[in-house]
Amino acid sequence: MTMLTASRRTEIAEPDSRPDAGGPRPSKTISDRIGWSRFGAITRYYPVLMLFILWEILSQLHLLDPMFMPPLEDVARTFYKEVFVTHELLDHLQMSVMRAAAGLGLATVVGIAVGIMMGRVRAIESFLDPLISALFPTPKLALFPLIMIFLGIGDASKIALIFLGCFFPITINTYSGVKNVDKFYIWNARTKGANGRQLVWHVIIPAALPFVFAGLRVATSTAFLLIVASELIAANDGLGYLIMFAERSFDPALMWCGILLIAGMGFTVDRLLLALGARLFAWQDS
Amino acid sequence: MNGTMVAAKPADVAKADPVHVDMRGVTQRYRTGRRGDLLALDRVDLQARRGEFVSIVGPSGCGKSTLLYIVAGLLEASEGEVLVDGKKIDGPDPERGLVLQNSSIFPWRTVEENVAFGPQMAGVAANKRRTLTKHYLEMVGLEKFAAFYPRELSGGMKQRIAIAQMLACGPSLFLMDEPFGALDSLSREVLQDQLLQLWERDRKTVLFVTHSIDEAVLLSDRVVVMSPLPGRVKEIVPIDLPRPREEARASQAFGQLRNHIWAAIRQETMEAIG
Repeated sequence: MTMLTASRRTEIAEPDSRPDAGGPRPSKTISDRIGWSRFGAITRYYPVLMLFILWEILSQLHLLDPMFMPPLEDVARTFYKEVFVTHELLDHLQMSVMRAAAGLGLATVVGIAVGIMMGRVRAIESFLDPLISALFPTPKLALFPLIMIFLGIGDASKIALIFLGCFFPITINTYSGVKNVDKFYIWNARTKGANGRQLVWHVIIPAALPFVFAGLRVATSTAFLLIVASELIAANDGLGYLIMFAERSFDPALMWCGILLIAGMGFTVDRLLLALGARLFAWQDS
Repeated sequence: MNGTMVAAKPADVAKADPVHVDMRGVTQRYRTGRRGDLLALDRVDLQARRGEFVSIVGPSGCGKSTLLYIVAGLLEASEGEVLVDGKKIDGPDPERGLVLQNSSIFPWRTVEENVAFGPQMAGVAANKRRTLTKHYLEMVGLEKFAAFYPRELSGGMKQRIAIAQMLACGPSLFLMDEPFGALDSLSREVLQDQLLQLWERDRKTVLFVTHSIDEAVLLSDRVVVMSPLPGRVKEIVPIDLPRPREEARASQAFGQLRNHIWAAIRQETMEAIG
């Protein structure tokens, strides 16, 4: 349940955005039809734009130490070079995304399966519940040195770390979602002839899906955190490595490229998940 | 008048149609920890003939819903048994359709998909399912709302969907647990009339749990009055009002039956409250 409140908090941070579980938008207005709402989504983030402008002004006034914060145009120039000329940034991005996706994907599949089994089978529940309660609060990053002993410093250890970090929020949310399914939905389905498998597939999963989704959002941000952290600690590629490498070779513009890219990616993925949730859960009461 | 409305004798039950549902000594006990068990139902014997409309009324906590869930096969009785068509029931079955008070239709399915739920579980092909769904939606007058989600509908509409969902499974027995209990009185009367029309056309067996005496008298062939804690059958009142019943609400006989049942329940309720 802590996961749910955590995801709520990120929603509250965007007062204009509808909650991920929100219903369909009200009927189309004129401004919707000519695409103003899309424009509005951009203008909503004007404070971010202001921050960038402030950055640039302060740099021009030489109020920022260029060793920490180079002028924004330097960052932009480096970004352009790294993306379109040397493609180096893209290679690092690809490595990070691959690792994060593998760990997160694995955690999603296993986490949902384990969560459903915990919610449905008493023996599995009573066995795993104390284990998960005990392991969940442990910062998974603390296990990274140990994981590296077993899996080396390559992809495997990073994927395993991300898997561990994402597994818990997804499992716990799925489990509480399954436990929360209204008894009367289950009764109704059973009197309409649903067998055990159909019950899980047609009632338990759709009813628990909003919970699963909330867990998935938390897991996604955890994956971003862990990919950067593990690449900062030990890696030869990836965005975390790039940030560390740039810092050590006194290239703050390159470092900021890495930071902004990872921030932009986290933001984009979260927005995509929100949009997907709004579409999937159009049936819910807002 | 009261003299004619004594508890039904066994001979009375056996008179016309064969017994469809036969509850024999149904007892339900709940463990409540240190204070010992709570006896929710105490040796309930009750029969419903095929095609009969039987209502069960009683104060809250008399176990009337529990009894219905036992017949549905969702709860297992601590003692006693339920026979349907002479066979002991074992778990739920689409033959015994259930409609619950608060909309138990699935909010993640559209109206159409909700009605098609039973046939889908039974493996009916999609195109045949569509024909079935259309038929039952027309029957409850909601064919225009096929593509809507339940949250977009009123409480009365949701209950009509729940009834259509049950009908689509083709049950021979309707188990209805206060299906109109959460509705405003206008919707309630409309749905009562619709249910009456439906019942008079198909004459399925109905077990109808309600806390509204008017509703029970209006709809039923017999009204079972239950006493609270432990739930027992206190009295069975045959309702001999002529059918169709839509006009019966204003008649004098209706009022007398209602007063008789109310007197029985009031006494029990007073005793229970103390």
